[in-house]
Amino acid sequence: MQTDDDLGQRVAWPPEGVARAPYVLFSDPHVYAREQAAIFRGAAWHFLGLEIELPETGSYILSHIGDTQIIVVRDGRGDIHALVNRCAHKGTPLVFAKSGKVADRFMCIYHNWCFDLRGDLVSVAFEKGVRGKGGMTPSFCKEQHGLDRLRVHRICGLIFATFSPDTPDFEDYIGPAHVANIKRVCGRPLTILGQYSQILHSNWKLYMENVKDPYHASLLHAFNGVMKMDRLTMEGGITMGARGWHHISYSKMTVDPGGEVYEKATQLRSAEISAYGFGLRDPVLTDVWDDFGDKVSLTVQDVFPCFVLQQLRNCLAFRRVRPLGPEKTELFWTAFGYADDGADRKAKRLAQANMMGPAGLISMEDGMIGALIQDSIQGDQDKASVMELGGRGIDAVEGSRASEGSVRGFWTGYRALTGL
Amino acid sequence: MDAIAPVTQAEARALLRDYVNAIDRGRLGEWPNFFVDACSYRITTRENEERGFPLSIMLCSNRAMLFDRIEATEKANIFEPHSYRHILSDSEIVSESDGALTMRTSFLCVRIMQTGETMLFVSGEYIDEIVREEGRCRFRSKRVVLDSSRIDTLIAIPL
Repeated sequence: MQTDDDLGQRVAWPPEGVARAPYVLFSDPHVYAREQAAIFRGAAWHFLGLEIELPETGSYILSHIGDTQIIVVRDGRGDIHALVNRCAHKGTPLVFAKSGKVADRFMCIYHNWCFDLRGDLVSVAFEKGVRGKGGMTPSFCKEQHGLDRLRVHRICGLIFATFSPDTPDFEDYIGPAHVANIKRVCGRPLTILGQYSQILHSNWKLYMENVKDPYHASLLHAFNGVMKMDRLTMEGGITMGARGWHHISYSKMTVDPGGEVYEKATQLRSAEISAYGFGLRDPVLTDVWDDFGDKVSLTVQDVFPCFVLQQLRNCLAFRRVRPLGPEKTELFWTAFGYADDGADRKAKRLAQANMMGPAGLISMEDGMIGALIQDSIQGDQDKASVMELGGRGIDAVEGSRASEGSVRGFWTGYRALTGL
Repeated sequence: MDAIAPVTQAEARALLRDYVNAIDRGRLGEWPNFFVDACSYRITTRENEERGFPLSIMLCSNRAMLFDRIEATEKANIFEPHSYRHILSDSEIVSESDGALTMRTSFLCVRIMQTGETMLFVSGEYIDEIVREEGRCRFRSKRVVLDSSRIDTLIAIPL
């Protein structure tokens, strides 16, 4: 059997620390098992869904934390509970629809054990047997056999949960600047515009590295650079969250000193495309407004390990990452607007949604890049990626996004929880 | 002025056939020519439709946006080279009014990567509104409703 010490030897982290990420982390099943225990069951907060998905008592959605299915349900007092979707009897899932509504309990299909909306076991079929014979052993105590219930934190209608009693309170976990941005973007009644998901043929961490990497945004996504959607030359920066584990990348599209580098610097792909005269015939993608009165046209915020809040101009979305084994990941998208959006703004948000998702003019490459890397590193499990833009540490570079500090911040959190 | 002749089923099926052939044979530059100027093209999912969510995976609300999308696909976006093969069902006529024909057609779309890897990529339904303009049949509206909400990797080429 593989012990923890063996795993530490397998993952020989180079002396450069978080400026390197060993390739073995992206496919080793033992590493994956360690992550499930230490990150997904460990001291971290995980996004589950939105309160508006649970409009009434008994409304539930089926979400996930790592490999574990989580029922998120609203009870009669308006409290929201996160319960492991596994009957305490034989391990049968209690629900299998993505969302639904129950009256006041979850009944297991297998032997009809019933749990209330807090997850407490309230009845066991034939508990007293039949005609005085059989039945549960007299010492059986229903109070000891409820569903596993997680700690829940709600902020601006977003629902997070954690398995661990050791996880710091949510606001301490992410830090005040990160609480402030959630309130900035989600501090008004939200409305869901739609949902879909994407299968990524790569390890989940390759996707999260991508999210936390502003370096690639205008380079891999040439659409960004050519269309002046997001360039490193725009005024902007990276705001690191508590302990450096979380980040917000932001930029102001109206302030772009030196942006001509994207048309002139021949080492950038956007300059090659500009030579073709690429431009939009329809103006809807550039017909934007300042949603928050601060000129900040882009924010990408993550909550370590797997949650993303995205503001691409007026295209707003939550992303949730679910690992499906070491080499496969599901990425869940929820596009949203505000309950008081007029028809015009709603239509424009829906048009700007062309930038996101599997067909996103900006995001489509993110669905592929991890899979390309996953394939190409298979033969070099003893090597590591190199991240030295902006130094080797996790301090933010003031007023600049030309840094991989936020990616190193991901690895800082990762190492702290996994001990690798 | 003479009344415009209504679109016949045979003409509509020919349009559908030519449309998928253009995509499957990689002639993406022709894609906008299958639509009238004031057109709508959407890819969405059955789940979003059933839950009343208006989100599209791809949305073009006029012909200029079709040109923009295909130009981005060919010049700006990067993805592993691949092609599609569409298989269409018989079509169900939903309505005929003012010379426009609305019909529903099931489709399977197979994706072929340049490595040769071939998979059933998506299945779903086309809901098409077809009109005659300048003597030619074209789509005024094409709604692509995918059966699954889960997309493998990415959708670069329109469906």
